Order: sequence, then C-alpha cells, then structure tokens
Amino acid sequence: MSLTIITLPRHAIIACLVAAMAPFATAQTTEPSPLRLDGFGTLGVVHSNEERADFVSSLLVPEGAGFSNQWSVKVDSKLGLQVSTDASSTVSGVVQVIFEQQYDGSYSPELEWANLNLNLSQDLELRAGRMVLPSFMTSEYRKVGYANATSRPPPEVYQLVPVSNIDGLSLLYRSRLDQATNTLQLVYGGKTVKAPSFEVEADNALTLANTLEWRALTVFASYTNTRLTIDAFDNLFNAYSAFGPAGEAIAQQFDIDDKRFEIMTLGGRYDTGDWFILGEWARNRSRTLVGDTRGWYLTGGYRFGPVTPYLTLARRNFYGMTSHPGLDIPQARPLNALLNEILADAAIQTRVAVGLRWDFAHSIALKMQYEHINLGAGSEGVLANDQPGFEPGGTVGLFSATLDFVF
Amino acid sequence: MLNALKRLGIGFLLWGVTGAGFSDVVVVMSAQSPSTSINREELADIYLGRLNQLPNGAQVIPLDQTERSPLYEEFYQGYLGRTPAQIKAHWSRLIFTGRGQPPQSVPDDKAMIEAIANNPRAIGYIDSENVSENLRVLNIE
Repeated sequence: MSLTIITLPRHAIIACLVAAMAPFATAQTTEPSPLRLDGFGTLGVVHSNEERADFVSSLLVPEGAGFSNQWSVKVDSKLGLQVSTDASSTVSGVVQVIFEQQYDGSYSPELEWANLNLNLSQDLELRAGRMVLPSFMTSEYRKVGYANATSRPPPEVYQLVPVSNIDGLSLLYRSRLDQATNTLQLVYGGKTVKAPSFEVEADNALTLANTLEWRALTVFASYTNTRLTIDAFDNLFNAYSAFGPAGEAIAQQFDIDDKRFEIMTLGGRYDTGDWFILGEWARNRSRTLVGDTRGWYLTGGYRFGPVTPYLTLARRNFYGMTSHPGLDIPQARPLNALLNEILADAAIQTRVAVGLRWDFAHSIALKMQYEHINLGAGSEGVLANDQPGFEPGGTVGLFSATLDFVF
Repeated sequence: MLNALKRLGIGFLLWGVTGAGFSDVVVVMSAQSPSTSINREELADIYLGRLNQLPNGAQVIPLDQTERSPLYEEFYQGYLGRTPAQIKAHWSRLIFTGRGQPPQSVPDDKAMIEAIANNPRAIGYIDSENVSENLRVLNIE
C-alpha cells in the first residue's frame, strides 16, 4: 500500500500543512509562541585518499569524496528547517524540510517530516503523515549533526536502511516502570525513494521499536518487516527468465521484486555526563541478492569540559551468497558474469575512527574526525562510484571537518 | 587527564571562593504545593522531558532560566551533571521529530518566583538568596 501523500508535489504538502496549522497560530493568543521555528545544519568537508571511488553519506546520492572531489563539501553539508506547534497540546504538527544532496545531484528541498500528532491520552500518541522510520537508535536525529557524537551516523549500520522517513501511521505508547521510561512505537506505511540510477520501493512496512531509558542508560531494539522492490536489476533478471524455468528460478532467488525484507537492530547508550559509550548491531535479511548483511559499531568518548575526544570501531559483513554458477547455457554466460559481479560486490569493511568534538560556542560544535577503513577482500566496502583501476580490498583514509549547529 | 585534573582544580577553587559550590541554586515549588522533596533522578527526568508527573501523581511543569544565564549552567551542571551544550544536544534529539520541546524559560529569578508562586504544578530553580515565603525549597534526595 503506497499512501497517496507521496504522489503529491512536496510544495503542495507543505502548503497544506502550514495551512492546517494556521488555526493553532491564532486560536490561543495568550500563549507566547504557538508556532516554533527550529533549524539545524552542518557545514562539512571530507577528504579521501582513494581517488578511484567515492565515499558517500548515503547510497542515494551521486557524489562523494575521493573520485568526484578529493575534498568534498557534499558528503555532510545540509540545512534543516522545521515548523512545529506545541508538542504538549492535544493536536500538534511538525513540518521539516531538508536541503542536502539529492539523488539527482541537486539541493532542492526535501520534505523530511510532515505529520499531525494526536495525543489520545497522556501516554498514547497517534501520528499520521510523513514521519521518522525508527529502524535505528538514532534514526530520529540521524541528520542532526549537533545531536550526534560522531561526524555522521556509522555507515556500517545506517546504510543498511538508507531512507530516514516513511509515509503512514504510527502509535507511540509511553510508560513509566519504576524509575525507567519506556517508549514503544509501532509504525506502518510505505515509501518510494529515488537513487541516481534506480528506485527503491518499500510497501507494507511495519516497524516495531522500543526504547527504554533509565538514568544514564538507554536500551533500544527494533524490528522492521517490509516488501521491498529495487528496479536496478530488472533487465538482468528479465533476461534470465527468458531462458525458461531454470532462468526463472535464478530470477526468483535473487531479484528484489516485492520480496520480504527484514531489519533487526539492538542498541544501547550509557552516558554519565563525563563519558559515554554507545553502540548498535543491525542485520537485514531477505531472499535476494542483498542477502544477509550485518553491521555494528561502538563509540566511546570522554568530555574534558567543551572538548570531547572519541573513538569508533565498526564492522560490516555479508553472509549471503557471493557467487553462483548461473545457467549452464553458453548464451547465458554474459548474464552469469554480470550476476557474479553483482554478488561479489558485497560491502564488507572494518573501520576505526578517532575524532574530537569541540563545543566552542553556544549551539555550535566543531568536529574533526580521521578514519581508517579496511575494505574486505575483494570488496569496495561502503564506497561508491568505483572507477577503472580501483582496487577492491585495500585501505582508505578519510579526514572530515564539520561545523554542526542548531537554532 | 591533565585537563581533568585542571578542571578539578578550578572546581575546587570555585568551591573555595563561593564556600558552597553549586548549592547556591535551589530547586523550588510553590508553597501551595504539597511536595517537600524530590529524588535527584526524578528531577533529571522532569528536566529531560522523560517525566511529567511527581510520584504522588500530580502533573509537574518544569521552568528554565534562560540558556545563557549562570543559574542555568549551575543548575544543569550541579543537579544533572550535564553541561548546557549537552542539554542542547539532548533537546536537539527530541525537537527535530516534534517529540518534545525544552521547558519554557523565564528571564530572571523575579519572573521565576512569580510563575511558580501562583502555580502549584510548576517547578523551577533560583538563587538561594532570592527564596521568598511563597516558595518552598525542595529537599533533593
């Protein structure tokens, strides 16, 4: 079920939502500011020493650091603007627009959130519209650099699900267990996103996410089940299917065409104020060529006043099939070669990052991060746009400097 | 490590100068409120937007001093062990999904006292020297 909201032009949605919120702006003249304007942004530059491939922030963008530009401002830079009404009133709303690199290389505004929230009781909220897809512990603020410990969400986990929002409905239930606060969220919806050369469609996506907060500890778990379609491989599998039942079986085994796709995540954070440690483990699973991918990261830091050095360890691995004999027919050889090229292109890497966050002024922080990526044997890891001459399985050094701000 | 020691040193110096460290800031409610004390973790949860009622079930509305005031910094550092930057980052995680908004702020102690004295549900913090008889200073457990 794709909700109709995704077919509306985004400017029309923004106009509708702002119009819908207008009554709240005038109804309560005694309240000081019923509409809030908030914003966040990142000005960042990334350098990669691998000139024959790009380090990208998302699978959905065309350019990154390395091949496209040795120093790239496109990886992390973004600006987000948000209008919201008082979250504590019975009906509230939020509209957020983000300017960042799009699938077509433009910086046209993208509607990140646009939803209405109904507080059914003090503990229960119903939300409708475009909202966060809470697959990961920091999904809600994955684009707000200021709220994150590191330069960007660890790609080993966050690139497992490149979309951050979904069009649909959600129920959120908050409960207090002794001194702990528990938030259980159920989200249902769908989303179609464009990548530079293909489209990703998620239908009937159901996500269950739970966050438990107790003193310095946060524990997160989520499960997503969706029907996924990626049209990038249509030609290959149509060609296989033309060979009859044996070819159809291969198409059925690997094609991503309305296939069940599951994502599981476990995460935790312990933040005493002086030091913190956070980590997540996530896995996606499907009977497709994306197979079974797992990623994890662990970040720890110590705060010396406004300066916070941190360290991240991360790993991503692939447990699916990396080769297949294909069809034993001479005419199918080019197809077999292509299939095996795709299967071998699994993102496997280990990464160590050291960084420093400096909260040097009010609402603004500078982060500098150096990371060393060890690509798995024969793998390009999370790099994209690999060019002739690129050697998989090597190492990559990245340096990032970002200014994160909120207002 | 060196920085930590330095910071500790500065902390001790300040402690020596003021004689009372962070205890200059007191947590207050209206004298009309039945509450006389609050648990430190509950106070933190109320100011982090995780809790909106007291153990007796009464709704509670936290009020802040302005973000850049010394009282703001002393309150968060002393009672929650968090710097203003950490508090800003905390709210950035909630604001940008429309999930929550930070406590309303008042310009100074005078405004805080006015807002709290007339509202038994409000909780706030002020300089201990400014406590008036229509307020109750809460014991922190």
